Amino acid sequence: MTAVITSNEKIREIEQLLYQEAACLDRPDLDAWINLYTEDGTYWMPAIPDQEDPHTHISLFYDDRVLMEVRRRNFVHPAAASKDYDVRASHIISNVQVRELDEKSGDCTVTSNFHCFLYYRDKQTPYAGKYTHELVRDGDRYKIRSKRVDIINCDATLNTIIIYI
Amino acid sequence: MSYTEQQIADMVQPTKVHRSLYTDPEIFDLEMERIWANAWIYIGHESQVPEKGSYMTLNYGKVPVVMVRDNDNDVHVLHNRCGHKGAKLVDRPCGKIPAFRCCYHGWRYRLDGKLLGVPHLQGYDGTDFDKDDPQYSMQKMTSESFRGFVFATMNPNPPDLRTWMGGAADVMDNLCDRAPEGEVEAAGGVLRYEHECNWKMFIENLNDTMHPMIVHRSVVESALDYIKTLPEGSPRRDEAEIIPPFGASYETFEETGITGFRFGHHYDGGKTSIHAKYTLDPEYEAAMLKAYGKERMQEILSFNTHNTLYYPSLTIKSAVQNIRVVRPIAYNKTIIETWSFRLKGAPDSMLKRTLLYSRLINSNGSMVGPDDLTAYFRMQEGLQSQASDWIEMHRNFARDEKLEDRMVGKGTSDLDVRTQFSAWREYMTEAA
Repeated sequence: MTAVITSNEKIREIEQLLYQEAACLDRPDLDAWINLYTEDGTYWMPAIPDQEDPHTHISLFYDDRVLMEVRRRNFVHPAAASKDYDVRASHIISNVQVRELDEKSGDCTVTSNFHCFLYYRDKQTPYAGKYTHELVRDGDRYKIRSKRVDIINCDATLNTIIIYI
Repeated sequence: MSYTEQQIADMVQPTKVHRSLYTDPEIFDLEMERIWANAWIYIGHESQVPEKGSYMTLNYGKVPVVMVRDNDNDVHVLHNRCGHKGAKLVDRPCGKIPAFRCCYHGWRYRLDGKLLGVPHLQGYDGTDFDKDDPQYSMQKMTSESFRGFVFATMNPNPPDLRTWMGGAADVMDNLCDRAPEGEVEAAGGVLRYEHECNWKMFIENLNDTMHPMIVHRSVVESALDYIKTLPEGSPRRDEAEIIPPFGASYETFEETGITGFRFGHHYDGGKTSIHAKYTLDPEYEAAMLKAYGKERMQEILSFNTHNTLYYPSLTIKSAVQNIRVVRPIAYNKTIIETWSFRLKGAPDSMLKRTLLYSRLINSNGSMVGPDDLTAYFRMQEGLQSQASDWIEMHRNFARDEKLEDRMVGKGTSDLDVRTQFSAWREYMTEAA
């Protein structure tokens, strides 16, 4: 692994994937979203800053493929009362930095800052923080192997977080 | 105050309660004074203040308090308030200090709350200020602990904690006995979840076995729908044991039974519960067998409860090793804390499962808790309607069985809610 950032072209490609993922969550469309992840992909939202792992400390979210599949179905299930309300989001992603890059495979770790406004139950809630994406090459495209979402108020008292941020 | 004692007493009838209990801020204030200041309120676990000088802060009702371990290793619950101008002395969730020192004028206190020093003391010469007058120290609350779980009260003449817990103490014993070393410790942090509802709506739901098949149908069906797509021989998943029982039938829940006690405590389950069929980790089983022998181990592991309420502030899941703590903020706002516990002497896989459970069922991002919360805030909003002043609780009324120290009923009985409101009425009218 080297910590160099290579071509503009690669950065553009990575940014486009992050934007594409954010667009899936803006709508939100979890059927499209899940396809951006590898079969062993994970989505993790820690409950404290600098949390070391999802198994020895509580997290707000830690979904692997199995739970993503359950959540995808539950999100549109007609009997889920908490989903009776419109869910709309707007994500802005910036400060994209490639932290680690395997020049040979193209696999990389990318960090970015995000602001997300989430509209749910007549209320608009702002979330802000840092994304860490692990991306792996899958043919001519990237897929997400892991996404870590560190919201800056992760250890505050929070209300329901109805959808992935 | 605008309510007479009789009016308050009349708000709780054998099979119905008045909607003002949920909608009137004045009732909320009275509850804080009469229930929350007189019952034993859960503060925290001794393992959360592991060393001399370790502290954790919280609100007891509206009162800021701090649990702290002093230099003699005694754990105290103190009012978190300077004896001078009243500033909170510590304001982080937890930490470690050599002594309390006020951020304003630098008054210093020992870890047991005694005032140690006041800067530039000569200014008080010739006045009747006496540094050693206890009124200037941090005020101590009455506290007691049961197997490491610390409770405090402002009641000047409380029943002792063990007596107050009654038969519901069996479940806390069971939680600790499930550790090969017979002790638990808080582990893996806390989730704090804001609920836009009255505190009673949350605790009334704990043993409400008529709701899971409705409220949690979506997640159960989503899980089962996905499990169907998996090939034969796919690895066992804890999630597949945790989620589907929430969709169990009325008949299944009927059999679990509900047991109620004086002072408002109750639990559902005993012989069986929705946690009863979890796979027993072989490494854990071996550790338990070694610690207790086969007969005692089976006795411990076959006592299967679901939720146990220590009215009004604490609910525990002994079989899962997590607890939820009720922190009321206003008549329509409550914070629910979820804490997880490690069974001392058990393999790490047990804490991992506990944290999985807390995340899957109780977290802000879970697929279970938010559906419960939706029912609560809809009640909170719906009860603004004056269509009727009463909320019924008739189910299995007069069919519960009265034993010497407890009431037992079918799993779908409203016995749990009637148990709570009988305590509500006692606290709200007796203390006046």
